[in-house]
Amino acid sequence: MIKRSRPLGLFSLLALTLSLSISACGSSSSSSTNASDTGVNASSPTVTVLMGTAPDSLDPALGASTQSYEATWLTYTGLVTYAHASGSAGAQLIPGLASALPSISSDGKTYTFTLRKGLEYSNGEPVKASDFAFTLERAIKLGWGNKQFLTGYIAGAEAYDEGKAHSISGITANDTTGLITVKLNAPFGPFLNVLAFPAAGLVPASTPMKPLPNDPPAGVGPYEIAHVVPNQSFEMAGNPHWKSEAIAGIPGGAAKVDVKIVTNNQSAAEQVLGNSADVFDWNDSVPGTLLPQVHAQAAARYAQEPTVSTEFFFLNTQAKPFSSQLAREAVNYAIDRRALSRLDGGQLTPACYLLPIGMPGHPSGPCPYGDPNTAPNTAKAKELITQSGMAGTSVDVWSEPHPPHKEYADYYASVLNAIGLKATVKIVAAAQYPATIGNIKNVNPQTGWIAFSQDFPNPVDFYQLLDAESISPTENHNLSQVNDPHIQSELAALSPVPSSKLSTVVPKWEALDEYTAQKAYLAVLGYDEAPKFTSERINFGALVFHPVYGNDWSTLTLK
Amino acid sequence: MTLRPGTSPWRLAWRRLARSRATLAFAGLFLVVVLLCLLAPVYAHRVAHTGPNENHITETIKVGGKSEEVTSPTGVPIGPTWHSRFFLGADANGRDVAVRVLYGGRNSLEIGAVATLITMLLAILIGTFAGYFGGVTDGVLSRLLDVIWAFPPVLLGVALGVTLAVGGLDLGVFKLTSGSLLLPAFIVGVVFVPYVARPLRGQVLSLRSREFVDAARVQGHGHLRILAEELLPNLTSTIVVFIPLMLANAILLEAGLSYLGAGVQDPNPSWGTMLAEGVHLTPGAIHLVLVPGLMLVAAVLGINVFGDGLRDALDSRT
Repeated sequence: MIKRSRPLGLFSLLALTLSLSISACGSSSSSSTNASDTGVNASSPTVTVLMGTAPDSLDPALGASTQSYEATWLTYTGLVTYAHASGSAGAQLIPGLASALPSISSDGKTYTFTLRKGLEYSNGEPVKASDFAFTLERAIKLGWGNKQFLTGYIAGAEAYDEGKAHSISGITANDTTGLITVKLNAPFGPFLNVLAFPAAGLVPASTPMKPLPNDPPAGVGPYEIAHVVPNQSFEMAGNPHWKSEAIAGIPGGAAKVDVKIVTNNQSAAEQVLGNSADVFDWNDSVPGTLLPQVHAQAAARYAQEPTVSTEFFFLNTQAKPFSSQLAREAVNYAIDRRALSRLDGGQLTPACYLLPIGMPGHPSGPCPYGDPNTAPNTAKAKELITQSGMAGTSVDVWSEPHPPHKEYADYYASVLNAIGLKATVKIVAAAQYPATIGNIKNVNPQTGWIAFSQDFPNPVDFYQLLDAESISPTENHNLSQVNDPHIQSELAALSPVPSSKLSTVVPKWEALDEYTAQKAYLAVLGYDEAPKFTSERINFGALVFHPVYGNDWSTLTLK
Repeated sequence: MTLRPGTSPWRLAWRRLARSRATLAFAGLFLVVVLLCLLAPVYAHRVAHTGPNENHITETIKVGGKSEEVTSPTGVPIGPTWHSRFFLGADANGRDVAVRVLYGGRNSLEIGAVATLITMLLAILIGTFAGYFGGVTDGVLSRLLDVIWAFPPVLLGVALGVTLAVGGLDLGVFKLTSGSLLLPAFIVGVVFVPYVARPLRGQVLSLRSREFVDAARVQGHGHLRILAEELLPNLTSTIVVFIPLMLANAILLEAGLSYLGAGVQDPNPSWGTMLAEGVHLTPGAIHLVLVPGLMLVAAVLGINVFGDGLRDALDSRT
């Protein structure tokens, strides 16, 4: 998923004022609890979680941002879900509403699940097997941001999306036996990961076929979302119909969660440091100016967790100057990743490969255009720009205003100017940024910043960014507009490999990622670290930092 | 004091102005700010040896014989060194704050001056035509001013700035690219037109029925000649009083728009963009907001107090 961030400015100040006044009212309970897995109820304590950016939607059929998933994976459990564990253990799929992981046909195209018996939605309705097809149809119809994972692989899903069919022909369900069968057009290795998205978390068939961001539908999970105030706050209350014993591996939760949107990360960090809020947004970074204070006063409740995400500058291969490989190589030689890490408060690990550490297929070899932890080779870069014949070419550098992304753009423009290009910076509001840079038709950006976090632990996810089939006139995901036959043939061969057998193809992914770096299709900056930062009253060690969804609120307990 | 007959109102105003030491002191303060900003290239090349947009993030410098990093590994920039390099410290990108604040001042003052020029020219044209011709002309022009006036200036400026920030302005013969300083100047200039045009229109409305205008008409003078020779001279003192007021407002609005990302575009500095860049690094790097903030206060305070003094000096009742 392309990481979203937040606007800064007047509205941040407003949000700051609001959040300060709200926290001053003191909503948090001071009662303590143990970590028992009894589920959240009216007497459970309340924990205040701060988010730097509001979720794009709290309707699971629409939400596609990290902030949305963080809430919806605890409220909309799918047939399969992820283990609630930190590190690589958290990347393991476990049965969710299905009684076991599915049986998969030998050709990898048919998945058969059996629904658990006796499940109820948060509104008390019984869960039926046929709700699964409805759930996916709703996500497709409402335009979920990752619906291509459904329409591209499930038989009949594309026809349904195009209005040529009334239902998805590839899904059959039997409400009596609870049997659900999904047929694919072609084998797709990470398909089970796709079904673990909150968008595939079952909702009742009685749910209106319209967006419900402020009154999200009923679901199955330890929590239900309540009292949504758009762009300000929402609550994660206990699901009264959740049976903790029903699904092994999903914690029932021990605290209600009050989520508040605080767009100023300085203010948010100060609130957590001062214990007036409980959890800092892992998508944000603690400002470098505050870090010494955090280390001095809160070392026991602050940690930098590695995330499976990559920050990079895309280089449009279909437009000058980056249509020239020499020019792209020059950028890779010229960028000082150490400088970019400093701009990110030291929370960026300099690197050169698209696949980050923690993702199977991450290459361990040296970078083709210099060690990212040493000084750049500006002289070589200048020479390459001269050789490419692109010297003096105008380049627009795109980014969004949220620190340090604007600072990245300023730095990057100065580098491009230093090596002989003529760079100007274009900053677009965070909310419009993905749509703007994804618009080839009207904007066709030459280069700019972007960050990408894993949607699921499979390298196929990252290679959407270089897949020629991802190029589209609007909402383009392949921002470098790479159409490389070698990448396409490798993706065709590697995509069908199930996530459970990824280890067998790791060398091939490594080779592909090394090839990508060699071709300099991107200028990778590095891999993000995320702050796990809580107030004193939170049991810091018990809080799971999940590799896909970040802070796992169902593991929040008070000391 | 006894005045000799024939002393012109301008000479009289000058005498009053010269007597007001506070007015002259603040005018001097403003002139010092302007002079410092005009000398920005000299300071950058001869003293600081860096440009306003040059990044020095991973560099180290000698301060008092000690080697110091321009920005720390966690991104905290160096504070004022009181030496030629990074005299007022660095920003997050390792850029010299003293150099940027002077170049930023040039941009802010240039935009303020051009915006004031645009405001005054458009306001004089619209105000005098609407007041003099009346009827349909007045109706159309006044409604146009009402439309602009209906929006709060900051909101209108942000709306225009954000809309034009990416694609610029293209009106056929009149084009402004998105990174051009003329773009925020144009936006700020247009936003303030009603604030000057309205009072001018009102003054022309009262002047157009005066005897000297009737006399000019009887003599067969055309409309434009009456406007230029009879009405405009009577508006001069009002216009002169408005200029510093509008200049101060324009500088402030430009800073506000740039702070919100709708004014001067990155990486070009202005006092507003510098404040925006520095605000998320406070209190650890307080110099990032103090330096541009103080320059902004000095410039606006200087021009405002001077404007007040000028108004008093031109007011025959004082």
